[in-house]
Amino acid sequence: MSEVRVLIVDDSSVMRKIVERSLRQAGLDPLLAYEASNGADALETLKSKPVDLILTDINMPSMDGLEFLRQLRSQALAPGVPVVMITTEASLDRAKEALAAGAQYFIPKPFSIEQIKARVLPLLKTA
Amino acid sequence: MECITPQSLREAHPALCDPRNLDASIEEVFSMMLGVSCTRMADASVADGQTDQGTVTAVIGLGGVVSGACVFRCSARAALRLVGRMAGMSFSEVDEMVEDGIGEICNMVAGAWRNRVPELAAHCGLSVPAVVFGKEYDLHMQSLEFQLRCAYGFEDVAFTVAIACGGLQQPKSRAI
Repeated sequence: MSEVRVLIVDDSSVMRKIVERSLRQAGLDPLLAYEASNGADALETLKSKPVDLILTDINMPSMDGLEFLRQLRSQALAPGVPVVMITTEASLDRAKEALAAGAQYFIPKPFSIEQIKARVLPLLKTA
Repeated sequence: MECITPQSLREAHPALCDPRNLDASIEEVFSMMLGVSCTRMADASVADGQTDQGTVTAVIGLGGVVSGACVFRCSARAALRLVGRMAGMSFSEVDEMVEDGIGEICNMVAGAWRNRVPELAAHCGLSVPAVVFGKEYDLHMQSLEFQLRCAYGFEDVAFTVAIACGGLQQPKSRAI
């Protein structure tokens, strides 16, 4: 299996580690994980690093996840790369906002490995 | 036109004060993220023991139709165990990553509790976590309509979670 390149965007360094670990436990191995602590840093990373998948939180300083997603689309960065929001902001309105901004799926925190397997892995097969 | 009235939120008020909602939120977070099942302890003061090396306290603000906070508190020793278990790492001291981890646990507990009341899920936001590590300090919150404080534990780890809310507000009417 070829290496999967993932960008994990979350202002929590612990959560970035947990997401990476969860992806590996779900079967994404080998995995190359890039990290960013906010949307602005994530955009900069994507200008030079091609990725196969983006996972992002919503509530972050400097640039939140929804604005990051809008900028991603308007700047045509990472075209065709699936984006999954992983966040405590699990209301229906927030989910609709995220999907309208271009996210493929919305996973609420806390999350399980089974949710990663069921929702994230299939995105890589269809991307 | 959807309008959530103060009456409907006050009807939900018993659910806000019910410790079983907090129990379920703790179970959800800890089973999924740490792989453990916690039990509620009868005496919250027991969970505050073993604090000679300091305590770690995380606070998440609640804003919108309710104003308040969710406060997660544990000893430094418990913090190392909790974050280590959640991240699959080993920590020997409370550093930035451990504080960050306790903040994330508080964030998820607050979110899980809020999401159990649909009116709150739609009209109550969470702040970013604030985390304090030290000895002999306390937090004081004013104008509380209600406060819920419970202690939980698993193995030899204990912690307390407090939800304090005041000022139930009427959200703005909005068209669907």
